[in-house]
Amino acid sequence: MMRYLRQVLTIAGKDLRVELRTRERVAAMGAFVVLTAVLLNYAVDRTVIHPRELAAGMIWIVITLAGLLGLGRTFELEKEDGALEGLLVAPVPRDALYLGKVLANAALLGAIAALTLGVFALFFQLTLPRNPLPLIGVILVGTVGFVALGTLFSGITAGSRMGETLLPILLFPLLVPLITFGASATASLLAGFPPEEAVYSLRVLAAFTLVALTAGVGLFRFIVED
Amino acid sequence: MSLRSVRWAGALLGFAGVALTVLFHWQVFFWVPTEASMGIVQRIFYIHLPAAWVAFFAFGIVALCSAVYLWLGEEKLDHAARSAAEGGMIFTTIVLTSGPLWARLAWGTWWTWEPRLTLTLLLWFIYLGYFLVRSSTENRERSRKFAAVVGIVGALNIPLIHMSVLWFRSLHPQPVVARTDGPQLHPDMATTVFTALGAWTLVFLSLFLLRYGVARMEAEAERLEAAEASARPLGEQGVVTP
Repeated sequence: MMRYLRQVLTIAGKDLRVELRTRERVAAMGAFVVLTAVLLNYAVDRTVIHPRELAAGMIWIVITLAGLLGLGRTFELEKEDGALEGLLVAPVPRDALYLGKVLANAALLGAIAALTLGVFALFFQLTLPRNPLPLIGVILVGTVGFVALGTLFSGITAGSRMGETLLPILLFPLLVPLITFGASATASLLAGFPPEEAVYSLRVLAAFTLVALTAGVGLFRFIVED
Repeated sequence: MSLRSVRWAGALLGFAGVALTVLFHWQVFFWVPTEASMGIVQRIFYIHLPAAWVAFFAFGIVALCSAVYLWLGEEKLDHAARSAAEGGMIFTTIVLTSGPLWARLAWGTWWTWEPRLTLTLLLWFIYLGYFLVRSSTENRERSRKFAAVVGIVGALNIPLIHMSVLWFRSLHPQPVVARTDGPQLHPDMATTVFTALGAWTLVFLSLFLLRYGVARMEAEAERLEAAEASARPLGEQGVVTP
């Protein structure tokens, strides 16, 4: 068990170290978030609706799109210099490899999600709840669920001719629960309702994440080449 | 089952399915009484409901065959999954065309975020992804595995998607929603629905078996071609021998 955990952490550490040295994905995703928020400001007619009223939903859409931008690169990176072959011959079970990648992607996208929340709060004068823990919990659980599915599917798209363009087609139909309950919980927390109101949504998000992780752990071994 | 019996079964089911399809169209147009509140447009229901049933049934077959394929690695199961997915795509498209036609008159709008409507639309896109993964992966073995994973994950998510769309709708009730569960279904209507259900189940099974036969022949042809190519002397393979 400890050994397995160490393997997962090693894979995640490797991915995060690569990211820390190049800072390519963080820069691309971070800039994407800020610029999308800027565009949103001009896309909305303020005499009709204030962007604040769209914030909860837009935050989730932006996290999803930024996540797509970063996830597509998960396995592209490994294509260079036969890095993937190296990973696959390492004495690590395939599911540990998957979980390590999910962990690294979740850390990355979690940071981007926090940035998204901050940017929206700054640009559109959101009042963040005094106790931010429930909101952080909702966004974290949702992010892990998204990354769990996205990492599995990016393994597929990296092996196909269409590459990253295929990712949204595979991923978006399955994200309806995430967006529905993520946005509703976020909206209720941002509106200052007591955290108990978001418990049901958080539960469904957790179920989604659990299903996604289970599917990923069980199926990942079939999509990496033997 | 041998390839021969698969094709025979497919053809027989096809004839039976087409005969029943003709019968239920006669029932729909000439025989069944017109529904009191919705009027003539309600007759679309006899085409819509069986198609939806078959579409979901097909998706079940896709998921089941995909899972067993990954488990046993038997190529035939992949052929079955793919054949079911193609049939499912056809019937999902029928559901998505007949639904809005009915909704325009019954609800006054082509589209609404009605849970089943939304779920069917998403199902259509899951199928689309399934086929795109297949066609855009060069390596046969891998494309089969990829498609199987997509089929399984899609099916696993259906209950959660269904839950979300139901919950979402309960938050935003529609002002005008026709209720079909008012009076009990007239016995003639029930007969028509069941005829239609039987007809399209048979049509689907026939398409499924025929497509499955073709898939197996394709695989066989590919194998023969590869064997022949490797048996030919080098010069004829396009390799110039010095």
